[in-house]
Amino acid sequence: MSTVEGHAEGKDEILELIRRSLPPGKFKEVVPTRWPRRYIVFIDAWAIRPVMEALKAAGFDRFVAIEAIDWYNIEPVFELLYYVESVKLGGPLVIVRTKIPRNNPEIDTIRDIYPLAHWQEIENYEFFGIRFRGHPDLRLWILEDNWEGPPPLRKDFDTVKYVLETYYGGKKWERPVKRREPPPPRGEE
Amino acid sequence: MAEGKPRMIFLGPQHPGAPGNVAFKVWLKGEKVVKAELVPGFLHRGFEKMMENRWWEVDVVLSPRYCVEDPDNFELAYVLAVEDLFGVEAPEKARIVRTIVAEMSRIQSHLFWLMHMGGATGARYIPAWAMAAREEILRWYDYVTGHRIYHHYMTPGGIRWNVPKDFKEVTLKTLNRVMPMVKDIEDAFVNNRILRARTEGIGVIKGYVAVQLNATGPTLRAAGIKYDVRKVDPYEAYGDVDFEIPTGTEGDAHDRIVVRIREIYQSKHIIEQLVERVKPDDLNYRVKMPLLPPPTLPWPAVARHGEGMSRVEAARGEAMVHVVGIKDRKPYRVKLITPSMPLLTTVMDYIIEHEDVTIADLPIIVMSLDPCPPDIDR
Amino acid sequence: MALKALLLGMKYLFKRPYTMLVPEKEPPMTTEKTRGRHLLDMSKCVGCRMCQMVCPADAIKMYKVEGDFKQNPKKIFPGIDFNRCTFCALCVEVCPTGALSMTDITGWYMTTTDTRTNLRSPYDLAAELAKNEKPDFRVTITKQTFLYQTKKRG
Repeated sequence: MSTVEGHAEGKDEILELIRRSLPPGKFKEVVPTRWPRRYIVFIDAWAIRPVMEALKAAGFDRFVAIEAIDWYNIEPVFELLYYVESVKLGGPLVIVRTKIPRNNPEIDTIRDIYPLAHWQEIENYEFFGIRFRGHPDLRLWILEDNWEGPPPLRKDFDTVKYVLETYYGGKKWERPVKRREPPPPRGEE
Repeated sequence: MAEGKPRMIFLGPQHPGAPGNVAFKVWLKGEKVVKAELVPGFLHRGFEKMMENRWWEVDVVLSPRYCVEDPDNFELAYVLAVEDLFGVEAPEKARIVRTIVAEMSRIQSHLFWLMHMGGATGARYIPAWAMAAREEILRWYDYVTGHRIYHHYMTPGGIRWNVPKDFKEVTLKTLNRVMPMVKDIEDAFVNNRILRARTEGIGVIKGYVAVQLNATGPTLRAAGIKYDVRKVDPYEAYGDVDFEIPTGTEGDAHDRIVVRIREIYQSKHIIEQLVERVKPDDLNYRVKMPLLPPPTLPWPAVARHGEGMSRVEAARGEAMVHVVGIKDRKPYRVKLITPSMPLLTTVMDYIIEHEDVTIADLPIIVMSLDPCPPDIDR
Repeated sequence: MALKALLLGMKYLFKRPYTMLVPEKEPPMTTEKTRGRHLLDMSKCVGCRMCQMVCPADAIKMYKVEGDFKQNPKKIFPGIDFNRCTFCALCVEVCPTGALSMTDITGWYMTTTDTRTNLRSPYDLAAELAKNEKPDFRVTITKQTFLYQTKKRG
């Protein structure tokens, strides 16, 4: 594992590259982390599209994932983490972090910048209920046909209780067995 | 028939050509595939929520279970993330043994996949040898870790128990039994003329377009791009072993087979280097973990809460785990970033758009990408 | 090339198959570390519920057993639902007195109708181990398996 001192030699170059290529005024801060060659960019939610476009132009070409963290009673926000790494530059990783309000979770889509983002946004929509503006296909995808409740990974929602009540008939140990009526006896008339 | 409207059929999840628990809606015009849409979710169990409801060290039991075929790399990813959060460093012996276990997992995953690949191409006899080779590795796992499929051998802070006394001999013996079979499979199956005719030029993803599609793992390397997390961001004992990254040139289905076979040889090479360094008598293989994560870690200007992250190269590509811990016995958030989603969405769409894919080629293309559908669902 | 494949195929034709005839001919394959059915030493169990708390699959319930157990004032003992158990051995690891351990009874041995091995409770296994010098199972995972050097951090 790495320590703060253990940064690789190329660290400053990539940090400078990120600082240089991001549009000025659209990001808050670029920080190195205690992991070598992984960087964090803090931005406001409105700036997600220009920042991602700039990162792609700077050579961060492989989109990895979108992660949402529900800071439920610590802070009423969803924090979104966009992981982007660079195959061209030999593997540095950038995490773009932004916060959106919990009662109105909306952010611009980046599905036309990175193709995988299309599917990652659907996933975050169904698990957290985050709406991505401009995404044409927000729907239940993984949970299709299996879920009627609110988004299950939110912190204020007791998934276990809901599942037990809705799908297991309130029982913890087994599903309720629906006994079928025995077929009527054959008439002998 | 080729005129008219495309006809939709459902491929999977029980179709022999489908890679496990996943389905496709396939639109056909005649026998040409116009569009294929992924239908995931048959194995969704909500791992991220389940892990939030259990203790840190208990989650190790859950962490490999979203990919049957390659459990140890995902287990390693979770364990590394937790160690990173707690600020604990595993002893050297544990790191070496965990690397060996993870590499064995890569070999058995590739062997298992070889069997599926044979199923997709209609070759049933020869790839069955791959299952025999995998059986040898599963017996090795049973001997070392106690179970055949899900091992739970790693734990934050090290490995759970010591390796057996004859660890080195047993490991080398297992490899010596597996490798001749791999060689035979390579001679009889991979270089076979029929298989080449069936797989060459099919499912081509060549060059930089693989990166633009966000593909990962052997699919990326078969496209000719030398990218491997074990090299670019070394973890565990990968920093001080010598191995190569095999790459392909054409990026078709046959190249992906060849790349995976060569990865098996590289894994064997890694294990042979590391097994010399394992000392069974060394009792320093596990560090006691604190019960609670430290409240904050020396992040410059980042959140108040500790976060840990790991990045590993699983058999199917890059996997990451990001854990967030407030001062609690349970994780606040565990994010499992898994490699299979781009393979079945963006890469599949690209292939179908740019090639004349027939319904007979579709299983070969899907199988050659080697997805592990449960890790899409989680 | 085709001839070579044919010759290799002939080679494997005469090899012993890897499939095992379970349960007709062979028992389930076990080794010295196989994690199987639990063993409960009731004279050591103190009823602390640690195993119940740690179990990831929620497979352990505590049952009241009447009897003379001085070390166990509440007289509760773990009962394991083997339909839910994942055999991860966390309960063995966490047990403070070493009362729980694991044997190599796995596979069809756990569910067969064979009277010799029919679903013996962990308690029965311990009783058998105490009185029989050569039981038909072996103890594979005990508390000692998990003993490790505790290294202080920092």
